[in-house]
Amino acid sequence: MVESILSYGLAMGAVYALMAVTYNVMFSTSRVFSFTAGALGMLGGVFGALFIGRLGLPSGVGFLLTLGCCALIGVVTEFVAVRPVLKSLDQHLYVLSTLALTLMIQQFTAIEWSTVPQPFPRVLPFDLFVRERFWMPVLACAVVVGGMEFLYRHSMVGRAFLAIAEDNFAARALGLPERGLRIGSYALAGMIGGLAGFTSGGILLAFFANVPTLNFYGFVPVALGGIGNNRGAVVAGLALGLFQQAANYLVGGVFASVAIFSVFIVALLAAPQGLFGAAPARRV
Amino acid sequence: MAAEETIVSVAGGTGIGLVPLLRQVAPFAALFGLAALLPLTHNAYFGLVIGRAAVYWILVSGLNLVVGFAGQLALGWVALLTVGAYTTSVLAAGTALPAISPFLALGAAAAVGAVAGVVVGLPALRLRTFYFAMSTFGFATIVTQIALAWRSVTGGGIGVIGPVFGGPFGSTWGFYYFCLGGAVLATWLSGNVARSRFGRGLLAIRDAEVAAEASGVFKPGLLVLVFLFAGATAGVSGGLFASLQTYITPDAFTFDLSLLFFIAILIGGRGSILGPLLSTVLLTLLPEVAAPLVAWSTFLYAALLLVIVLAVPGGIANLLDFASRKPLETGRIIRPDVSALPVLLSGHAAERQLSFEGVTLAFGGVRAIDGLSFTVEPAAVHGLIGPNGSGKTTVLNVISGYYRPGEGSVRLGERELAPGAAHSRAAAGVGRTFQTPRIVGEASVLANVMIGGTTRGRGTFLEAVFSLPRHRREEAALRERALLALKAVGLEQLAQVRADRLQHSELRFLEIARALMPEPSLLLLDEPAAGLAPDEIALLGGLIIAISRAGVAVLLVEHHTDLVFGVCENITVLNLGRELTHGTPAEIVAHQDVIDAYLGS
Amino acid sequence: MKLTRRSVLAGTTAAAALPLVAVRSASAAAEPIRFGWLTALTGANSAPGIGFNRGVVYAVDKINAAGGVHGRKIEIITRDSQGDPAKAVNAAVDLASNAKVHAVFGPVNSGESLATTPIFTRFKIPSLGICVVDSLINPTKFPNAFRLSPDSSQWDDANRHYIMDILKAKKVAVLGDNTGYGTTATATSTAAFKKAGANVVYSAVIDANAQDVSPDLIHARDAGAEAIAVWSDSTGLDARLMNARGRLGWDVSMSGHPALGSGDVRHLLEKPEYWNKVYVVGYRSCSFDAAGKLPPKSAAFVKEVAGKVKLDDTLLWWVMAAVDAVTLVAEAVGKTGSSDPAPIIGYWNKLAKWEGLYGNYHFTPEEHNGYPTDEIVMSAANSSHDGAMNIAPGYA
Repeated sequence: MVESILSYGLAMGAVYALMAVTYNVMFSTSRVFSFTAGALGMLGGVFGALFIGRLGLPSGVGFLLTLGCCALIGVVTEFVAVRPVLKSLDQHLYVLSTLALTLMIQQFTAIEWSTVPQPFPRVLPFDLFVRERFWMPVLACAVVVGGMEFLYRHSMVGRAFLAIAEDNFAARALGLPERGLRIGSYALAGMIGGLAGFTSGGILLAFFANVPTLNFYGFVPVALGGIGNNRGAVVAGLALGLFQQAANYLVGGVFASVAIFSVFIVALLAAPQGLFGAAPARRV
Repeated sequence: MAAEETIVSVAGGTGIGLVPLLRQVAPFAALFGLAALLPLTHNAYFGLVIGRAAVYWILVSGLNLVVGFAGQLALGWVALLTVGAYTTSVLAAGTALPAISPFLALGAAAAVGAVAGVVVGLPALRLRTFYFAMSTFGFATIVTQIALAWRSVTGGGIGVIGPVFGGPFGSTWGFYYFCLGGAVLATWLSGNVARSRFGRGLLAIRDAEVAAEASGVFKPGLLVLVFLFAGATAGVSGGLFASLQTYITPDAFTFDLSLLFFIAILIGGRGSILGPLLSTVLLTLLPEVAAPLVAWSTFLYAALLLVIVLAVPGGIANLLDFASRKPLETGRIIRPDVSALPVLLSGHAAERQLSFEGVTLAFGGVRAIDGLSFTVEPAAVHGLIGPNGSGKTTVLNVISGYYRPGEGSVRLGERELAPGAAHSRAAAGVGRTFQTPRIVGEASVLANVMIGGTTRGRGTFLEAVFSLPRHRREEAALRERALLALKAVGLEQLAQVRADRLQHSELRFLEIARALMPEPSLLLLDEPAAGLAPDEIALLGGLIIAISRAGVAVLLVEHHTDLVFGVCENITVLNLGRELTHGTPAEIVAHQDVIDAYLGS
Repeated sequence: MKLTRRSVLAGTTAAAALPLVAVRSASAAAEPIRFGWLTALTGANSAPGIGFNRGVVYAVDKINAAGGVHGRKIEIITRDSQGDPAKAVNAAVDLASNAKVHAVFGPVNSGESLATTPIFTRFKIPSLGICVVDSLINPTKFPNAFRLSPDSSQWDDANRHYIMDILKAKKVAVLGDNTGYGTTATATSTAAFKKAGANVVYSAVIDANAQDVSPDLIHARDAGAEAIAVWSDSTGLDARLMNARGRLGWDVSMSGHPALGSGDVRHLLEKPEYWNKVYVVGYRSCSFDAAGKLPPKSAAFVKEVAGKVKLDDTLLWWVMAAVDAVTLVAEAVGKTGSSDPAPIIGYWNKLAKWEGLYGNYHFTPEEHNGYPTDEIVMSAANSSHDGAMNIAPGYA
């Protein structure tokens, strides 16, 4: 039982954390939470199953193609659903445009791929102590979060990212290529979301209806970890995964989702800026 | 929003010409009249689909106030439909308690729905936008799970039989008229709320939350009232839905349905009633017409939503807003009529002095205000100047209650202004304008000014919902007063125009008119001359002096030194949150420190 | 008959309507028989609908090619409900009042069937149901509604009989998904096991999209379950249950919903042997005997449709039940010479023993649930070909 809680809990926790990073990366350059995060995660699994399982491509090729396609979807999000509404951010039109795009992706997948879960193929011919579906998401999460930290600290692009995340107008005044960075961030978010879906394909399967699950459970670490706080997202994501799996054992799966939602609401009402986030500045 | 609709809405039933009133009511009358003729077709299928649209509209009419007016992204409102449907069905079928009449059960559904509306909506008081949207999703899931698990009452997966409304409403067309009547009632009630001070308060919360607070709109209280209302309409809608469906199971309450409600409002146009009504009908009919495309219906909904958001963010209402396409007169001149001021400001209780005493306010380690004291006399204009970042606007924000000072007190007359509590300032006699004008762009100029009169209303929410006489009288008086305020600042001829069509300088005068609505003892002006032409600054100066002559204490933060030295009796010069010096304009001009620190640059 | 105002009124109306009826019957010779067919043909729950649809189309084409019924062609009027009860209600009224169908077949899913059944009754449309919810058949409330499939208690009876009497399991676990069907089936199945004297050591409802179902299996194992009844039509959940069982190395038998044996499940299994000792509700007409042979009538049908109707990715009973439905309507119109509701319903009410492809139905005015329980048998889940399966071990 402990083994199952740890394996599934950490793997799913890492997936939630990756989804949270996906939200965060998109948010950092555009101030927009995009529903497409869940769609990217779902597509990571479907593309993986399509390229490796159905088309029979080698794992490595399938993996790179999946990341490439998801990056493309990320960029499409930026072009179609984000850029046109950035001017009127206060009207929250982004909620609608990204929701619309997500539904279109989800529905298209349901009709053109399958309405029932499809198998996700094995990626590697061997296991490392535990089965690949358990260690791959955790490794992906560590690589992504470590890579992001490195990028932010030690590269010009990363610092430019941070500058934009801090203050859009100031960054533009400094002559930073705000638009280019934003497109870049959406491509990166696409890859991270795709990575989450690909590495967890063995658990989540290639299934169009994974979108709402990933959207909700991926947003919980964003909310609890604090917007833009990737380390907070990892802590909150892993905690969520373990909590969910423990609740599966203790109270049963259906009530576990109710328990998670209740914790989410109560925690947010107590600390709207998240448990690790800073209080927002006054708006006058 | 259709400005025309708002304007006329704002006017309420009284004090408004018959022709505009007819023009306002005509589309609704035509639509419902057409629907009333439907039984002539003898086609039960048409009856069902249009009846369904009517039932959905009953829910949407309430949700419209939450989403379209208050701007709260309640995505999972199908949860309320579920609650209403089960409440009505369970009570009418008598699975839990002794069976009661379906009509009583429908009433109970309204009550239960109202309470559930507050529960689902409550997180909106703390959570913003995306967070709130996510929380409503969660509620939708939980309600379904409860319906599945509570088998003894809800029948679990097998569900429960829908209520059958007897008497004249027992037949197909009888029930159709019942639903249609409900839709007409819901339109009227939600329209009443929309054109009351509550409806204007919601718009202000959505587009200009800070200004709403300064005008005395108490957001939590107002939202709770609206969630009650939207929950009640959703409850009734759910009861009728259950009857329409003949039998309800948890899988009847799909996410697609939630989406339909939400999208209908946005495609219809935020802040409109006619728009969402039309799009509710449209979205209900669309899948029926496009039957071969049924598999793609969600995809098409989503695509339609995307197109609307990108191409016509104002929705159907904007397309129908012909009045706002007529070009406005160019080269307009603002002509303040200060003779209106004595009438406008005649009734205020007492001329009161503002005492700002020993106030300190720190952000982190930085002292934005550092032990500052000054007073503003009634019927006088006091200037507050200083370089950027010296703390001028921060002083206004402390007085307005947006910041709580660490030390010191702010008094108006004998009364201490409670620290924080920005929404209490209008009633306490403080009016203000903002550096960047904060207005509801889609509402008319008149409606924007009437927002300033929020605290003058005495009628309750229920009186507004049912448009009772006291409420109507108040609205008429408020409208008269707003027109007077517009006359005073010189915008009377633009009263019916959408506020976002005004020039920047006109918005500055609009904000002054709004600030004068509650008859303030103290008026705070935050850089009112910014962006004005020299002749407009001169007009502004005259207006400020006239306002102070009427007994109002005016505190003016401004960079235009000509204006400050022209209208102020006294001036305080700030630097780094401290007083550099104070005195009459003549003294300040001569002060060497001021010249060095500020004027010299 | 007691003479009341209402009956007098009804009488005069009937008399007034007589000439109209006569006119309609005269023109009816050329008028096609409109066969309403309503179910989810797209969306998540469309697999059965697609299977039934093949049978409907095949049977109608065959009858029409042979000249129709008394020269009248059969016209299929299809409505896709996508499994959404609201869409199903709209479609039902559309079929009844607009398309004016003479008989209706479907829907499959419980939520939509519960809502559409009273509607077809209101419009007096003879209807042939294939949804397993017990309460749908009630000749008093719904005198027009007949069922071709068994109801869920019959499924449950067959499964329980197999677990208790053939597998000889005393301690039983019951698992279902958190959909409307799953929660209800789990609860009623649990109650029925208890009533029959079995020891239900674990009973739970699982999220249909749960990623890890091992908690429930571990609970069941620790409670000492000797057999597991599974009531979920979610292929993802069914496969996950079998995978988790396989990984636990637990050789308990699982049996229940036919979806456990669907082709979609096969792809999701981590190892083919995880499908062993899994039994699904099946029918004698669609089961291969120990010699690998179908009953003669079914074998003839499979041979007849070979190359015309695809069977390997669907279930034979879906196709055959749909053929039976079309045949029942055509035969009623053919024998009574009328496509009006009363003659059709009256004809069906007299079918005390009607030998169909899928089963031998028994309809009387008091019994509209016509599928015989003794024709329901369990099948081995991993033995599907041509949409049929091997009969489970242990049957005589």
